[in-house]
Amino acid sequence: QALPSRSGPSSILVSPRQKGNPILNSVRSVAWEYSDIPADYVLGATTCALFLSLKYHRLHPEYIYNRIRDLKGQYQLRILLTMVDIENHEESLRELSKTSLVNNVTVMLAWSAQEAGRYLELFKTFEHAAPTSIRAQRSSTYSDSLVEFITVPRGINKTDAIGLVSNFGSVRTAVNAGPEEIGLIAGWGEKKVQRWCNAVREPFRIKK
Amino acid sequence: MPGDEKAPVKLSLPLEFQQDIFKELREDDELVLLARGLGLLRIVTNLLHSYDAAGNNLILLVGADERENVWIGEALAEHAAVSVAPKARGLSLVNTDLMSVGTREKMYAQGGIFSITSRILIVDFLSGLLNPETVTGVVVLHAERVVATSLEAFILRIYRQKNKAGFLKAFSDSPEPFTTGFSPLTNMMKNLFLQKPSLYPRFHVSVAKSLEGRKKAEVIELEVPMTDAMRDIQNAVLECVEVSISELRKSNTGIEMEDWTLDSALHKNFDTMIRRQLDPVWHRTTFKTRQVVRDLTLLRTILHALLTYDAVDFNKYLDTVLAASQPPPGSTKQNQSPWLFLDAADTIFTTAKRRVYTGKVSNADLANNPNSVPDSLEPVLEELPKWNQLAEILQEIEQDAYLNPTPQDTSTGAILIMCGDQGTCRQLREYLQIMYVKPEGENDEDGAESEPSAQVMMRRKLRNYLSWKGDFTKVSSALFSENQKAINSSTENRVQSGKANKPPPNKRRRVRGGGAAGSGSTRSDTGAVRTPGDRDAHIASLMAELQPTEIEAMQKTEISTDPLDDMDSYYTLFDMDSLVVIHPYDGDLDEHILEETKPRYVVMYEPDAAFIRRIEVYRSSHTDRTVKVFFMYYGGSVEEQRYLSAVRREKDAFTRLIRERGNMALTLNNDANLDPQESFLRTINTRIAGGGRLAATTQPPRVVVDVREFRSSLPSLLHGRSIVVVPCMLTVGDYVLTPQICIERKSIRDLIGSFTNGRLYNQVEAMMEHYKSPMLLIEFDQNKSFTLEPFSDLSAPSTTAGLAVAPDLQSKLVMLTLAFPRLKIIWSSSPYQTAEIFSELKKQAEEPDPLKAVQIGLDPSMQGDEMRSFNQVTQDMLRALPGANEKIVTTLTLEVESLMELANMEEKELCKLIGTDVGRRIHRFFNRSVYEDVAVPTL
Repeated sequence: QALPSRSGPSSILVSPRQKGNPILNSVRSVAWEYSDIPADYVLGATTCALFLSLKYHRLHPEYIYNRIRDLKGQYQLRILLTMVDIENHEESLRELSKTSLVNNVTVMLAWSAQEAGRYLELFKTFEHAAPTSIRAQRSSTYSDSLVEFITVPRGINKTDAIGLVSNFGSVRTAVNAGPEEIGLIAGWGEKKVQRWCNAVREPFRIKK
Repeated sequence: MPGDEKAPVKLSLPLEFQQDIFKELREDDELVLLARGLGLLRIVTNLLHSYDAAGNNLILLVGADERENVWIGEALAEHAAVSVAPKARGLSLVNTDLMSVGTREKMYAQGGIFSITSRILIVDFLSGLLNPETVTGVVVLHAERVVATSLEAFILRIYRQKNKAGFLKAFSDSPEPFTTGFSPLTNMMKNLFLQKPSLYPRFHVSVAKSLEGRKKAEVIELEVPMTDAMRDIQNAVLECVEVSISELRKSNTGIEMEDWTLDSALHKNFDTMIRRQLDPVWHRTTFKTRQVVRDLTLLRTILHALLTYDAVDFNKYLDTVLAASQPPPGSTKQNQSPWLFLDAADTIFTTAKRRVYTGKVSNADLANNPNSVPDSLEPVLEELPKWNQLAEILQEIEQDAYLNPTPQDTSTGAILIMCGDQGTCRQLREYLQIMYVKPEGENDEDGAESEPSAQVMMRRKLRNYLSWKGDFTKVSSALFSENQKAINSSTENRVQSGKANKPPPNKRRRVRGGGAAGSGSTRSDTGAVRTPGDRDAHIASLMAELQPTEIEAMQKTEISTDPLDDMDSYYTLFDMDSLVVIHPYDGDLDEHILEETKPRYVVMYEPDAAFIRRIEVYRSSHTDRTVKVFFMYYGGSVEEQRYLSAVRREKDAFTRLIRERGNMALTLNNDANLDPQESFLRTINTRIAGGGRLAATTQPPRVVVDVREFRSSLPSLLHGRSIVVVPCMLTVGDYVLTPQICIERKSIRDLIGSFTNGRLYNQVEAMMEHYKSPMLLIEFDQNKSFTLEPFSDLSAPSTTAGLAVAPDLQSKLVMLTLAFPRLKIIWSSSPYQTAEIFSELKKQAEEPDPLKAVQIGLDPSMQGDEMRSFNQVTQDMLRALPGANEKIVTTLTLEVESLMELANMEEKELCKLIGTDVGRRIHRFFNRSVYEDVAVPTL
């Protein structure tokens, strides 16, 4: 159901209905052009967006349902880019949550024209990007992973981590160290010592 | 034993006000707010015992922490023995998931007194394992934590809904949290389902009468002046704090910050206060703001360390701080903490070093002959002024004891020294052991009169420090090889190059050439930045000077793993009369120390308001014992301020509470209050109160909730909306609303965190696999600003490349939706709102099947429900290991016992378990020595 890419992949297609929408002023890093499309914005071969201002939604609650219907189930990812421009947003947002489930749209909230424009840019920019940066990342250097490993228990900070390894020489000896020995390191109070020792000694799983 | 004659059991409440409280509590359900140090736990245990001795009951103790459990358990056993109560069962603990469901059920059936972790108790209530109707009564400790959305409030609500006859008593000894917000006491009472607050400040008539009527404890206050160096450092740290705070002001306009002043900085938890103020907007703050807040915590630690650590340890700590504050390689100067650029920071580091040793090497000398080793380094080893004071006090006590050899009372003559923490304890113990030992060679100077001094100890410490320093330089260079140069150079250097805002290296030379005259550092021909104090050769010469003399060598060093460090074993081993006991403050447990040592002299090495009251209580409880108290503090120090403000704040809090109690409407009638459903619905939304009820027709709406979610307030709110909450151990998702809808809840903080470690991606992936309508719930906090916009300017055009490197929250959300087009996002401005959205989503939908929800996503090979309750912290630590992915984490969790075992595993074993590549990396991670300064390939 993808639209044929008439205008090349690099620009956002904008419906003429959106003429004058201030969010277009904030779309700067990506090119956009007007085009006759059922959605408000086409952000990629399978992605489109409808724009909704909550202020408008309160006056014309039926509008957005007509627009969704007009999409006729096209596009895989249908964004409902919602501008939160009223104070009492609770009821409208509750309704939209339900709508998103029923009509298969994904609600994205923006609080300013800038932010909304930014979302458009981002959807276009990441169109073909692999989601690597939100998948598990490993810290690349030894010192980073060292600090990351030691600072997992609550309250232990980077200074403590460095104090710990510099006193014991390696992570293994630090793991094996008794609470009394760790307590001698400057900065390691009882609570931290307790948390670290517990974390290291506690069984991973519950034994029956 | 003096006690309440009418009570059927023997009590241990000697003071009048304690008996008053006890009598009140036996008659009425109420909230008791007692000033700190007046023996709250003693009253609680006596109350529990009076029920325990009667037998045939099921009493729940809610909110007790680990140490309190121990205290209460012991006290109950003791009471039972004293009053020979055959029916008393003592305290049973249910505090880990380790106890299986079956065991718990059996225990509940037997009855007795149970201290149960809130999270377990609520699950047991909801799953029907423990029927609230069978409960005789509930005792709540730390009532100040029972806010509307807390687990404890949820527990009490369920309890009161099902059981209107059982008793309910709440205790707290910190009045401060009750005074924030609008009519806080009334609200708290509502959460506690209690009507009557009972306030016992120190200035309460009967308290004052009990404590002051008889012989008062003799208190001698000693103001110890700080040394000049200490005062300089304290002022410098405060200056850094001030600058950091104004930095915060600058970058967070529009946030209320009038009261962020230096005065409040002297306050004990000023960093947590600031964090709390920033909390509503935390997710919008910039990296810089967060860094400054972190810095404030660090600065507070430094302030504390200045007063408690000795000069050498303090300097050592600062070294670590500096190494840790180094920016990661390749980052820009913006990532440096701003306070490090200040002159004041320079003062902190140089003064701290000057308290340990001085190097009088002139720049000219070094420039002429950079490789020579001038021998003018000298150890300074400033001692803490309190040490000398302590020695004097001990001398005075000795004289006193000599003049009055036979005491007329039952005190033991032991000396009790109370200090802040274990570290200080250790330090004082070491000091007292060797304060009269002199290093040889210096006998002629001040050996004649045997003045106590810490010289031997300090010299020993300095030796250790210097050898540590050698290793440490290697460690930092191994860890931060890019910054090797900077770290090798001295503190001054780093601070100064920092102050210059790190111009590019080629420019720096010129800058330095022009203006280096005054600085304490210089540049050798090789281009490495060096300072006199830290050169290897200098350290060696200092080491030589410090060679242990014979006398020093004879002194054994404190063995850190001495099993006798455990104070308890001392009591039975030694004759109390000639004993000096050093102990850290430990809340209510201090009462035990006083009771057991029966000291005639108490030295308070650090001020502690609660402990003074404890002594008063102790003194008044035992008319036949005399106590002489010495009370020390550094004049004009943060320590003094903190003590004074703590006392003042408690008094203010009580005054306000008394006023509010006076104005409180006490007409609350029982029935209205006992329908929590009603009052709860009102707090959510008055408009739908009736309608929501009507909707619940034949089958009440049901939501399956993961047990780990009970830490949040949402389950409580769902229950408040008369939705049945079914606690289950879920593998996929947090909430299952209908057979199709599965929801993963993320607070903003969780969202950021789980984007970073990639867990959210996996969670969504799992939901996509098993449910038709997976949803991500982004939940803002009730009081947090409902927006994701950062304070920084969004309009700055961001390049694609820049975004790929450091994507912000918005970009990550976009990536997530692009990766999972079927995923829906629910935006909720508060947990209350979420509860409404949930019931909206559940309208006209089927109810979920808990059994099915539990089975979804379960690995068929990992059967058995208990198997899956893994420890969260250790899981996270496993994930942080290099090369670890979900599969490896699972394998390790199942095959290895604990992190300790993992760390000590052979490489071969590990490789067999998780594959050669990752196995080798993890083995290397644990075993690599940071002392090697070979450049190591990245992991």
